Amino acid sequence: MKQRRWISAVMSAALVAMVSAACSSSDSGGGGKVRLTFWTHTHPPMIDLNKALIKEYEAKHPNVEIKYEQIPNTDFNTKMLASLSNGSGPDIINMDDVALRGDYIPKNLLAPLDFKAMGADSQKAIEDKYIDGTLAGATGPDGTLYGLPTEFNATAFAINTEQFRKAGLDPADPPATWDEVAADGKKLVAAGQGGFNFLYLSAGQYTQQLQILLNETGGSIVDKAGKKATIDNPQGVAALGIWNKLINVDKVGNAHTASRDATAPFADFEAGKTAMTIMYPWGVGQIAQDNPATAKNMAVVPLPQVDPANPSGRWYGYYEAVNKASKHKAEAWKFIQYSASQSQRWLTDVNFIQPLKGWAQSPAAKKVPFLPVWEQAYSQGRFDEVGHHWNEVQDAVKSAIEDTVLNGKPADASLKKAAETINEALPD
Amino acid sequence: MTSTTVRTFRPARSATSRRKWIGAAFAVPALALFGAFAIYPMARVFYISFFDYDLTSAPRWVGLQNYRYLMDSDSFQASLTATVFYVGFTYVPAVLLALVLAVGLDTRLPGSGFIRLLYFAPVAMSWVAVSIIWRLVLQPDGLLNTVLGTHVNWLTSDSSAKWALVVTSIWKETGLFVILFLAGLQRIPPELREAAAIDGAGRLAIFRHVTLPLLKPVTAVVCVMAVIRGCQSFSAQVVLTGGSFDTEVINLYVYKTAFESARMGRASAVAVLLFFVLLLVTIVQLRIFRSRER
Repeated sequence: MKQRRWISAVMSAALVAMVSAACSSSDSGGGGKVRLTFWTHTHPPMIDLNKALIKEYEAKHPNVEIKYEQIPNTDFNTKMLASLSNGSGPDIINMDDVALRGDYIPKNLLAPLDFKAMGADSQKAIEDKYIDGTLAGATGPDGTLYGLPTEFNATAFAINTEQFRKAGLDPADPPATWDEVAADGKKLVAAGQGGFNFLYLSAGQYTQQLQILLNETGGSIVDKAGKKATIDNPQGVAALGIWNKLINVDKVGNAHTASRDATAPFADFEAGKTAMTIMYPWGVGQIAQDNPATAKNMAVVPLPQVDPANPSGRWYGYYEAVNKASKHKAEAWKFIQYSASQSQRWLTDVNFIQPLKGWAQSPAAKKVPFLPVWEQAYSQGRFDEVGHHWNEVQDAVKSAIEDTVLNGKPADASLKKAAETINEALPD
Repeated sequence: MTSTTVRTFRPARSATSRRKWIGAAFAVPALALFGAFAIYPMARVFYISFFDYDLTSAPRWVGLQNYRYLMDSDSFQASLTATVFYVGFTYVPAVLLALVLAVGLDTRLPGSGFIRLLYFAPVAMSWVAVSIIWRLVLQPDGLLNTVLGTHVNWLTSDSSAKWALVVTSIWKETGLFVILFLAGLQRIPPELREAAAIDGAGRLAIFRHVTLPLLKPVTAVVCVMAVIRGCQSFSAQVVLTGGSFDTEVINLYVYKTAFESARMGRASAVAVLLFFVLLLVTIVQLRIFRSRER
């Protein structure tokens, strides 16, 4: 009996000790070690470089330990927002400009850039290193900067030169307008090659592609005040009309059979199902890693335009920012500074362009394929529209595109319905 | 005599009372867990439904505004329609098919156990796994179009996506109801059917006048389960269509409203409405079955 009591006492003590240990562990572990958490979306080349940078940083700063987690793209924003709301979010956030401008900055979830921790005299000293306007994706209405870009994308176009040749087309004379995409696409399809298609993945990606066309037709999703939908105006109808004509009239691609794997957005281009696709700098790196054979036959050319004399494009970026609730903001900013200082490696290893002044003249940029095309794309881009409850706006845009492109409804009717839904979502 | 009675009775009542208290004490941990993880969250959902709450700032009282919004919202009404369509066209055929299959499988022939296991196999699989399998089957160049010789865009058009979900769900759900009906059938004494046969009743008459009435308790459970399971559907819609093409059922609407749009108050209001609708439907179903029993 005594022995049983003794065992019971020891077990209770062990349990209490374990619980105490668990409760006392925190993100500042023993020996003053700082533990940071860092979340990004999934993009294999980026993940490899981030892991390498973390390893190097930890070796240089033995008191810092960084836990790196990757969240699937489709769940990324939802998980990040939910985690930030209950205080369990990561210290370092890697997020796109639409989410930053639409949700994170207005909801006061981010810490302002700590220029002192980054060894600068002022925010302006940091801003001066970047091309004008490119930090707007992480800047609040009052001018406060909340993040630094790890990747900054402009929009171009890619063609499969081998398929062009097989269809009797000259890859040196790529399509410059959407009408030429239709004409070349029809020849490619007739020759048994791949044509052109858009991506049919998330609501965000549907919206981004329509935004490309809206920029070209002079349309917009909402008015400048963000109070009223304008997507159903004639320019909006024209933008969706371009998409619909390519797929349902010219039949250069099939929206029903397009790949819907969000982790492999260029799957159809890599498989030869399409010979033309909208392209971003990071896409070049991904195709080179996933399918070197396709990469060998790929040429990046300027984005087709409605009016080549008045070209446009879209910008978007991913920025590293710091959770306002982080207990180690200064340490987090120091790591971001280290990551941002590796711009040459971001270029060579991942094809991520950081919009630092003079990036195109850097040694690493000289090795970037199709550099003049990218330079031109950056010169003619602008950030996407964004506003409150933008997820609902994107859902409405996606429904409109599906109604017209996949269900055959007229573009004006689809966009009218979308405008009603958007107006329902927008604040009064 | 009286004093003897008192002496014998008091200790007995005391023992019973003590046993009751001990029993209640044993139930406390379970009740506490139920209260913390079921009752409190439900009460919290009711409470939040009267607020505008975006997860990141303090909730703001809006009274019945979330409910008023839902009454006028086209997207909410579309999701209600999608749910009614899905529940009706999935679970009515699934229950009827399950009844027919259960009657057919209610035999002691060799191999019948294995066939029952086959019907139950989809039930044991997760919804996500089943949906991924059916996504392959329903591709434009998938098994279904190949077998039927058709070119239907099962998952990418308004006219067919909801039917694709119905087919997938009937395949997944029928086995569960087969097992429930089989359990009910095997509790019916064979003598009753034998007696009816001796009295000259045919197979159909025996099924209609003997088997079916005796299956009423099981049928009631199956019907209640079918409606609740149908209204709770979520995974198949997420994997197969993402809620596009008129397949955004109510649970998916709640998820998107809560976690993508960060409108927790509005999502809670939908959950509250769904709770009361399900409660009402369940009460009506049980009353119908009870009145038929009388």
